[in-house]
Amino acid sequence: MDAEAAKLIGAGIAMGAGAVGPGIGLGILLGKAYESMARQPEISGDIRTSMFIGIGVTEAVALYAFVVALILIFVA
Amino acid sequence: MMAKMKKAQSQTPAVESQSPAPVAPQPGQLQRRRMPRWAWLLLVVVVAGGLFLIPGGQREDLDVAAEFDLHPLVKIPAIGPIDLSITKGVVYLWIATAVLVVAAIVISRSLKPTPSRFQFAMESLYGLVREGIVNSVMKSGGDTWFPYIASVFFFVLTSNFVGLIPLPFAEHNQFGFYAATANLYVTIGLALFTFVFTHYAGIKKHGFFRYVKSWVPSSAPPVLKQLIFVIHVVSEFFRLVSLSVRLFANMLAGHAILGVFFAMALIFQNYLAALVLQGGSVFIYMFEIFVAFIQAFIFAILSAVYIGGALEQEH
Repeated sequence: MDAEAAKLIGAGIAMGAGAVGPGIGLGILLGKAYESMARQPEISGDIRTSMFIGIGVTEAVALYAFVVALILIFVA
Repeated sequence: MMAKMKKAQSQTPAVESQSPAPVAPQPGQLQRRRMPRWAWLLLVVVVAGGLFLIPGGQREDLDVAAEFDLHPLVKIPAIGPIDLSITKGVVYLWIATAVLVVAAIVISRSLKPTPSRFQFAMESLYGLVREGIVNSVMKSGGDTWFPYIASVFFFVLTSNFVGLIPLPFAEHNQFGFYAATANLYVTIGLALFTFVFTHYAGIKKHGFFRYVKSWVPSSAPPVLKQLIFVIHVVSEFFRLVSLSVRLFANMLAGHAILGVFFAMALIFQNYLAALVLQGGSVFIYMFEIFVAFIQAFIFAILSAVYIGGALEQEH
């Protein structure tokens, strides 16, 4: 297998495997956030703010995998 | 009016017949016959099939990744290792700055007691940064650091939104999309501001040695203290990386997805696919607007968390 094919396969594996963890993490985060908003609707504004922070931090992990995939395709 | 009431009464029974009963025409009124349901279905199938079968145009080569290449627009010779030529990214940064400065000047000169829509929007954003970000996250240095947090929020927000407007700075002066924040150098610059200000705030408040000592818990064996110190230093640098890469990768991925969706509407040379994918492009564009706002908000609130954390650390 030549280098170009290996790079593309590596990029695919990087993005695919790298999206599993953040996907699960986002699901758990959002589930807990909705649960707590249902338990205490009066502070759902604060919960929503913290939820968005959590979403941003968790999705960043998936985007690290995306950057690795891009590096494999375009730079390496 | 009488015909409408009669029609309402005839439709209240639960069972709806396949073809509705024709309404008795009132004298002097046009008789309207509703098209039966199968006729609508046939019309849709005929139109869709026709759109599918019309031969499409010439296939062009669409390169989505070429959107992110930076070619110099005005070539200025380099001073040492720094290339000063004006590229697309530089122009977009200037545009974001100009939009912010002009908007701020216009708003601050024309404040009215009953706000106009633009003033109301600006006041809402100001309230969001003030209450939602600074006052809810930073315990102590809120008033000192609010200008920086607000500047970073508005600058990232404006850059992200300007990146969603097609402007004629692509190759050969075509219209194209490009976001200044889709460039790693820009986001590293912004994250460096937060990084430097975090440590500056901590050192100014606590003094250098007390600030560094506050990174490790004081009641720990010395070996563990060294390990925790190393881990903390690495995590401080990783905050720089994560802050910049989060914004960069979100904008880059968003624009790449937008480019792919817009290109997909043209790749299959098929009018039906183009119609459907055009609708999908609208939805993904709306999602990109949401992501642009969220990423600006997250950058600002994480900067506030880091600076607030450095100000109040008293282990």
